[in-house]
Amino acid sequence: MNAAAAGPADAASDPGPGRDTTRPLPTVRAARAVFDLSLDAMVWSRRSLMMALLLALPVVLAIVYRAVLGRLPPRVAAFDFYGNIVTYYYLRFALPVTALFYATALVADEVDGKTLTYLITRPVRRSAILIGKFAAYVATTFALALPAIVVSFFLLATAGGWSGIGARVGDLFRDLGVMALALVAYGALFTLVGVLLRRPVIPGLLFVFVWELLANLPGYMPRLTLTAWLQSLIRHRPPQEGVTAIFGQVLPAALSLQVLTAATLLFLAASLWIFSRREYVIEE
Amino acid sequence: MPIYEQTYRRYEARAPLRKVRFWPITREALRLILARRWFLGLLALGWLPFLVRVIHIYVVTRFPEANRVLPVDGRLFGQFLSQQLVPVLFVTIFAGAGLVANDLRTGAVLVYLSRPLTRRDYVAGKLLVVLLLNLFLTLVPALLLYLIALALAPDQFLKWELAWIGPAIALYALVLSAVLGLLMLAVSSLSRSARVAGLGFFGLLMGLQTVHTILREAFDRPEAAVLSIATNIQSIGRALFGTAERTATVPWPWAALALVALGAGCLAVLRSRVRAVEIVT
Amino acid sequence: MTATLEYVRASRWYGPVIALNDVSTTVGPGVTGLLGPNGAGKSTFLKLAAGLLAPSQGEVRLLGRPAWGTPALYHHVGLCPETDAFWEGMTGLQLVTALLRLTGFDEAECGRRAEQALDSVALLEAKDRKVGGYSKGMRQRIKMAQALAHDPQVLLLDEPLSGMDPVNRRRVVDLVKRLGREGRTVLVSSHILYEVEAMTRRVLLIHNGRILAEGDVREIRDLMDEHPHTVSVRARDPRALARAVVGAPHLLSLTFGADGEWLTLQTAKPDEFYGHLHEAALEAGVLEMYSPDEDLASVFRYLVPR
Repeated sequence: MNAAAAGPADAASDPGPGRDTTRPLPTVRAARAVFDLSLDAMVWSRRSLMMALLLALPVVLAIVYRAVLGRLPPRVAAFDFYGNIVTYYYLRFALPVTALFYATALVADEVDGKTLTYLITRPVRRSAILIGKFAAYVATTFALALPAIVVSFFLLATAGGWSGIGARVGDLFRDLGVMALALVAYGALFTLVGVLLRRPVIPGLLFVFVWELLANLPGYMPRLTLTAWLQSLIRHRPPQEGVTAIFGQVLPAALSLQVLTAATLLFLAASLWIFSRREYVIEE
Repeated sequence: MPIYEQTYRRYEARAPLRKVRFWPITREALRLILARRWFLGLLALGWLPFLVRVIHIYVVTRFPEANRVLPVDGRLFGQFLSQQLVPVLFVTIFAGAGLVANDLRTGAVLVYLSRPLTRRDYVAGKLLVVLLLNLFLTLVPALLLYLIALALAPDQFLKWELAWIGPAIALYALVLSAVLGLLMLAVSSLSRSARVAGLGFFGLLMGLQTVHTILREAFDRPEAAVLSIATNIQSIGRALFGTAERTATVPWPWAALALVALGAGCLAVLRSRVRAVEIVT
Repeated sequence: MTATLEYVRASRWYGPVIALNDVSTTVGPGVTGLLGPNGAGKSTFLKLAAGLLAPSQGEVRLLGRPAWGTPALYHHVGLCPETDAFWEGMTGLQLVTALLRLTGFDEAECGRRAEQALDSVALLEAKDRKVGGYSKGMRQRIKMAQALAHDPQVLLLDEPLSGMDPVNRRRVVDLVKRLGREGRTVLVSSHILYEVEAMTRRVLLIHNGRILAEGDVREIRDLMDEHPHTVSVRARDPRALARAVVGAPHLLSLTFGADGEWLTLQTAKPDEFYGHLHEAALEAGVLEMYSPDEDLASVFRYLVPR
């Protein structure tokens, strides 16, 4: 019995104009389609509302700071308060949690929701699916986080008036760049964790709240964390850091950029490789 | 004839035989959770601080000079319970994140509420799951520790003036377990994904703690501590056991008020989210 | 028959459990029913065909290429999975259109094909409603629509009629038969025998991970010597009919019905027996005749041990 070769479709199935049915869709085109499919679900959801509140909380803090400024003498200046928010709130807490929240769910949500079957039975490379979903993650988190940082900056940097704001705007752009890099780097890491593990949340939390504390230690240990490299890129040094004031390291900025970029690419490449080869047995 | 009139029919089922209607919900949920070996491992890890404290009490009773460095008194039990906050947090997330979320996702809420159970029964049954597990990590080891202290150092602990320790342990353990359990249940009801619920719960707790830290550093006001759920719980413990805090904290009446408000908010969320039918427009 | 789907000594196990055991078969154009009790291996068989799983041993080839790891094949394959799962916030039209974009059609073509597919499953009126608000039957039909929208050459349908009302069942059965007549390869997995019988006479019976039988239902039945064929006959004079056939070779038993009109006969060789019966039919005044155990249910019952 002869096996039928995968040649041009017979008259019963029309391939449609300009469509090559002998190859999968080009990666960029496929990723774009997955991006569009995923972005809607990511942005317009209750969980994004929760994350938006979490990321916008510093705006409330900034308003509170300005509101009580005349009545209570603060221990830190307004711009230093902004620095505390960037370092303690965003870099060490909110952005890693946001990345954990979204990036571990890129594949896990489709598996749990049993919709992965629809995606992997399309003529697209699996890597294109993950690239499209990661792009949607980046777009969503940037849209949620960066505007909140900008608003916090302007609320606090202008607490004493608008003079001198020009000198500070450079810090804002730097902070935005670092926050964006943090979202991408943590996102790539947690995408890998989400692809590797069936239950990625607890290992992710342990990484963020236990492993990343190594950034506070002396010696070579901080280099094994993302926090240390990211912190080295921002200029804010919160005045009272306790043990961090003794042990905290500032690594070279250029090296930090290179390491973070390399780590991001490595995590993403590993994720793509694993996702392309893994079988997903959807329980019925 | 097999064709019936489609008119309103009164519900005339008999009253349920049991007074505690929700116990099967709790029992089955516990059975599922305790079937996971790694969860049992987590529970076992949660008892490690208890072992450390037992050794501590033994060392001090054996070598009384050690009491100057590691004092053993009524406050020890309050400190122990405060330290149990971390294992209780993880157990609450593991056990509680999917309790309502999974039911909402699979439509099991409809199945539960089609039995002679009210929404209160459902919530009570689910809450009891987390409560029992948390009490296993708080009340049980703390009471056991107290009994061991009574046995090893009766001169020190078998006194009428220290009779408050038992009730204080019970109350603090209950507050710690119930607040976290209720909060987890409320967050779980806000999502159809256990993962999202677990992360949301953790994010809420840590986020408020971080905000508290930032505000405290900026303004040096102890009132900022009322934002932190963990600090409020520990304030109750401090009031019950008189344990000293390294950092300034909120007075216990404010802490209690904040926790009561939190509990009311959680119940309101559960009331609106636990429904048999969801209308999709 | 040209083989579209080919299994060559294919096995698949999950840990220590063998789901599919050394299966060799081919499936060609037309409608083929994949039957078996729960846990027989039907889902695994279908997932291997759909390229969702790789065989642990052997080969599974679709349109001449390995089914696993060849995404280009999905231009020609439509899968209707059993699971009831969707992106609930999307409308029916949005869902089918989004999946068509992933199949390489341009925007205008996506819209046109999506509406055509929805129309073929009678969902056009509900196209702008969210899938989360669909009834069970509508959800099943939207699954069919997304499988058909890109006009695939091969259709893999897992329990396609589940949850449908009788009107829509009929519609889908007719649709499947038409697709088979067009020369497409349609593999329908089901455990509801009369539904499969309504769609096709060609079946693949699976049990415990092995193929029990394949081919036309009647041919399979004829090969089953150990189960005599039952023929029920209603006649004006059943006793006269009985006298005429009692000497027929291969007649195994003969029973009169309580109502005095029916005669139930059992034979090992039905075709020869029918020839003999034909001669006696006119004399005895035969009014009605049928064979209650030549259907799929009987074949299934005989082949699959309880």
